[in-house]
Amino acid sequence: MHVCVNILDIKRYWEFLLKFTFRRGIHPAGNKNITQALPLTDFPTPSVVSIPLSQHIGAPAVSVVAVGDAVKVGTLIGKAGGFVSANVYSSVSGKVTDIVTTRTAIGARVPHVVIENDGLYEESFLPPLVSPDASAIKARVADAGIVGMGGATFPTHVKLSPKTPVDVLIINAAECEPYITCDYRLCLEKTAEIFKGVEYMMTALGVSEAYIGIEDNKPEAIKALSDLADERIKVVPLVTKYPQGAEKQLIYSITGRVVPEGVLPSDVGAVVDNVHTAFAIYEAVELGKPSFMRAMTVSGKACTRPGNYWVRNGVGYKDVADYCGETQEAKKVISGGPMMGFAQTDLAPSTGKGTSSLLFLTEEEVASGDKPISACINCASCASHCPMRLMPMFIERAVDAEDAALAKKYHALSCLECGCCAYVCPARRPLVTAMRRAKKLIKEKGV
Amino acid sequence: MSKYVVSSSPHIGNDRTVATIMLDVLIALMPAVLGSVYFFGFYALFIEILAVGSAVGAEALFNVITKREQTIGDCSAAVTGLLLALNLPVSVPFYVPIIGSAFAIIFVKMLFGGIGKNFANPAIAGRIFLLLAWASAMTSFVKPITWINGDAFVYFRCILRGREGLLDVAALSTATPLASLRTDPAGLGVFDMFFGAIGGSLGETSALLLLIGGVYLIVRRVIDWRVPVTFIGTVALFALIYGAAKGHALDYILPSLFGGGLFLGAFFMATDYSTTPNTKLGLVVFALGCGIITSLIRFFGSYPEGVSFAILLMNIVTPYIDKAFIPRPFGYRPKKGAKA
Repeated sequence: MHVCVNILDIKRYWEFLLKFTFRRGIHPAGNKNITQALPLTDFPTPSVVSIPLSQHIGAPAVSVVAVGDAVKVGTLIGKAGGFVSANVYSSVSGKVTDIVTTRTAIGARVPHVVIENDGLYEESFLPPLVSPDASAIKARVADAGIVGMGGATFPTHVKLSPKTPVDVLIINAAECEPYITCDYRLCLEKTAEIFKGVEYMMTALGVSEAYIGIEDNKPEAIKALSDLADERIKVVPLVTKYPQGAEKQLIYSITGRVVPEGVLPSDVGAVVDNVHTAFAIYEAVELGKPSFMRAMTVSGKACTRPGNYWVRNGVGYKDVADYCGETQEAKKVISGGPMMGFAQTDLAPSTGKGTSSLLFLTEEEVASGDKPISACINCASCASHCPMRLMPMFIERAVDAEDAALAKKYHALSCLECGCCAYVCPARRPLVTAMRRAKKLIKEKGV
Repeated sequence: MSKYVVSSSPHIGNDRTVATIMLDVLIALMPAVLGSVYFFGFYALFIEILAVGSAVGAEALFNVITKREQTIGDCSAAVTGLLLALNLPVSVPFYVPIIGSAFAIIFVKMLFGGIGKNFANPAIAGRIFLLLAWASAMTSFVKPITWINGDAFVYFRCILRGREGLLDVAALSTATPLASLRTDPAGLGVFDMFFGAIGGSLGETSALLLLIGGVYLIVRRVIDWRVPVTFIGTVALFALIYGAAKGHALDYILPSLFGGGLFLGAFFMATDYSTTPNTKLGLVVFALGCGIITSLIRFFGSYPEGVSFAILLMNIVTPYIDKAFIPRPFGYRPKKGAKA
């Protein structure tokens, strides 16, 4: 309905016509000022790490070490359990003391390799590649166990092997979730490396065009990136709006292409990867360094030492809480951002390739999300803010009535669970939960 | 027991709640409330207080009797009561707003499941109930107390008088301008209608004061601008066509817009969330229907005013509008074999 323009929305419509953005969405408070000025520093790795063997979407990796084995930094400890899977490497040197099955940050029970850290950090990397071709790069990405580091953790070598020809690579540096600043710091501090990584990805995909999309609330990072941009790799300042970094929205914002329901972005000739993934690919190709470490933001008002850290995989959340000074006011601990992250019941899980942030939030910070639920008043705010243009309130009603066909008719399967609906709901309906229930119901009933 | 709160994402939300939305509506109605006191005296305020009190009381009582969670804190009952009061003429006996509000809340809202579940706008249904039950009281309008002879003392005395005094002093009963819309549109004072110095129910007379409140709601994004714009635009268009057919194309437009309950209906009643469609396109269709039915009743029906009936009829059609206009999601693909 392009003709129905809110007269008060002229500014936004103008933006939509002239700038890079998508329609609908929300503007949550950024809260990035807590950590955005803090440079990335090494997080002190504790004496014991517990590395999950499933840090990705797809089949879990299979353990290739036994209790008592000596490992170095970069020793393969879990081998990919299929094509859609990823290798897992040791992040420290030392001795494997145990292999236990415990809970990860997203609630799955997976085997963890527990390694006693000898503090020496002896390295055993893959051999660096010199001017590799497409297949060598893809093989290296698969070997190094690189997954989407924005948080989705989809194995990157699968994305770099699209079934249909692609002509554009989009690097996601939008970082639209509040609080998180690790990608921003990475763009500032590792600019040249990111560009090298993007070049390798372009070679692997055989594309000649790449765009780095970044929200325009990060002018310093845009400037740093723009200084290195050229005709092939362009930097696109995006309107600051959530969920600007969602795959389909990002593709639309930058290229104007609409990814149809139920197909992959590569079907419209685009591949989207996170900026941290590009950096990881640079490291894997030029340094032979597999994926065992990442930049991570620790933030929130309930920790006294917030910051951006280089964190090795397998560091317990408890260690992070201790180092960053979790206070008594911590009401909610979230792995990931406040819009899509996972609230933790305790600090037992450990960091992985997709842990972009750990937030210690006070009651005051989460009060707006934890208000009491009341009856739906049909205001349709959820529908008017949904970036996928769905009708969450009708889907909620359909799933409450266990009507899978109706939920599907309202396109529940297109939901990306970004949380805009629940964010704007004046009655605080648990709409994202309803969406997940709807998807499950549709799957179960097989409609 | 975990020391942390564990719940689904998202973990943050905006500041808007049902209560803040309803408070915004109450704030937006304040100009009209002040106007009702200015034009009809403090008895108007008395009626408004009775209606609001009765609505809130009825909902509270209903919740207590049926052992439900108390919901008066969301302020929606207060909005219903106030809207109903603004739809009453000042000459009604005191028990009319009390019964009307209680009827609206209990029979139209709570028995259907409370907020969000009612199929008809409670204030509108309450007004129509009163119109049928107290037909003469609901249609006898008095002239507003204007600045009588420029004498401030007389004016304030009028304002302070109760119902009987008001009927004595204002003395002259009058019809709403709409009653003479079909016969003598050019004879109506458009400025009086716009500012509100005309006969009519408490809150509907001043288009200006309603417009102020309506714009406030649009700016606060409580209501969608499409509804009032389409509704009022459709009525204006019909007045133009009707006028053109009578040979005075422009005479009918402004009286149609300012003369009756159009502004109150378009900004405050046709924008009720529960009883209107949930899509932008659906809202436009809804408002279009309201405008057409209002115009048809006004120009061809036996009632001079048709805003309430129009909104009620469209309330009933709302679920079908919602079914007919399911928005196509981002990336919509027509099913194979189906027509695009």
